[in-house]
Amino acid sequence: MTGISALKINDLHKSFGQHEVIKGVSMEANKGDVIAILGASGSGKSTFLRCINLLETPNSGDVFLAGEKIEMKQNRHGETVPANIRQVERMRARLAMVFQGFNLWSHMTVMENVLEGPVHVQKTPRAEAREKAEALLAKVGLSDRADYYPAHLSGGQQQRVAIARALAMDPDVMLFDEPTSALDPELVGEVLSVMRDLAEEGRTMLVVTHEMSFARDVSSKTVFLHKGEVCEEGPPAKLFSNPETEQFRAFLSRMN
Amino acid sequence: MENILSYIPLDISLIAENFDRFLYGVWTTLNLTVLALVFGGLLAIPMAIARASRHRVLSPLVWGYTYVLRGTPLLVQTYLIYYGLGQFEAVRQSWLWDPILSSAWWCALIAFTLNTSAYTAELLRGAIVDTPKGEVEAAIATGHSYGLRMRRIILPSAFRRAIPAYSNEVIFMLHGSVVASTITLQDILGVGRWLNGRYYLAYEGFITAAFLYFLIVFAITRVFRWIERRYLRHLTRRETTTATEMTPEPTR
Repeated sequence: MTGISALKINDLHKSFGQHEVIKGVSMEANKGDVIAILGASGSGKSTFLRCINLLETPNSGDVFLAGEKIEMKQNRHGETVPANIRQVERMRARLAMVFQGFNLWSHMTVMENVLEGPVHVQKTPRAEAREKAEALLAKVGLSDRADYYPAHLSGGQQQRVAIARALAMDPDVMLFDEPTSALDPELVGEVLSVMRDLAEEGRTMLVVTHEMSFARDVSSKTVFLHKGEVCEEGPPAKLFSNPETEQFRAFLSRMN
Repeated sequence: MENILSYIPLDISLIAENFDRFLYGVWTTLNLTVLALVFGGLLAIPMAIARASRHRVLSPLVWGYTYVLRGTPLLVQTYLIYYGLGQFEAVRQSWLWDPILSSAWWCALIAFTLNTSAYTAELLRGAIVDTPKGEVEAAIATGHSYGLRMRRIILPSAFRRAIPAYSNEVIFMLHGSVVASTITLQDILGVGRWLNGRYYLAYEGFITAAFLYFLIVFAITRVFRWIERRYLRHLTRRETTTATEMTPEPTR
């Protein structure tokens, strides 16, 4: 079980006002791990994922990316804030995220979407970035859509572009926030198959999902969150065949 | 031709005689309007960013500025600058007086610029605030700094969304520029007024002026239609242009 730690989260807490959504969640992903995060809506799984790249600021807890800790500090109102926003930006560039709502930049073509991060954040020479972007679009099966605007694509196509955009950053870890939940049922498969390929390539992925088959067949570890806490975790084969807690059993029977 | 013209209750020859004056009026109007739009637009961008931010000093400051300038008539603003500032000895003694504040043209340009900057700032602020939250989050998650995402994502998207509303602002500014004629400038309306004052013929001057404004507005709307087609492509349905892209008809 010893591998190179890609991402480590220690005792993360997050509240919105009085309501504590994440009550001390820890998680570690080694290089090449695919962790599926399951949970009912309101279990805090999306919030947890968004705390990792600080789209939400956790109230406490540490995030380490390849051993490097994201430094936080208290501001004068006693809120936890990033100590150094440049460090956070640097870390975010290594933690690509794929959103439920795709969130492609609507005024840019598919190609421009994929080039944006490498060219403007990572300062990769345009020609080099373009070559890579073309390869990535081919990989997600959208070479012929490079000049399209997002609004002219189907949801499944948009999400595949979003995955290519994330891959273009050469991220250490990819965060997927319910990537298939906004898709029509017949479009889910094309996105899942791209994600399956990524898992096989050895990408490190954290996937918040409702796709039980993906968790069961693809993930190296499944975590079930319940009311902001890790309720059950382990290899999917064990978890799915032999759920230990009442909550996970109930969740599984509701999903099937 | 002579016969037809005699039925029109206008002294066409008078208009023709003074046509070069009207052309010069067009030049003055366009000159003032375009310069005011350019400078006002440039001022509006940082103001809109400040207004859209939650900065505790800048945002209310810009709010106050736009509130005052949008809350008072352009004519009054122009008078305050042209007639008002000259009342102060200090202004007349300053370096600003001689080339700038003593000139009606400069006073009009300053008033128009400030006025359009306020309207444009509010319009842009709305567009900035309306940027889809998810697109901003995607930029944050990609590692864009505040400045980079403003420059690469938020402003390009906001500018595009502001185009249709901005075309109205351009037309309003053109129409508002008639104020120049009240402080001695010979813009389009100024020439009309001059003709009326000189010959006591109201229709000749004012109809010609109206017609010229109409022509300019027509040109502006055409230009904006072209700009919208070019820059709002991403919001419209894709046109199926080539035969290969079209879904083939089912064959029997």
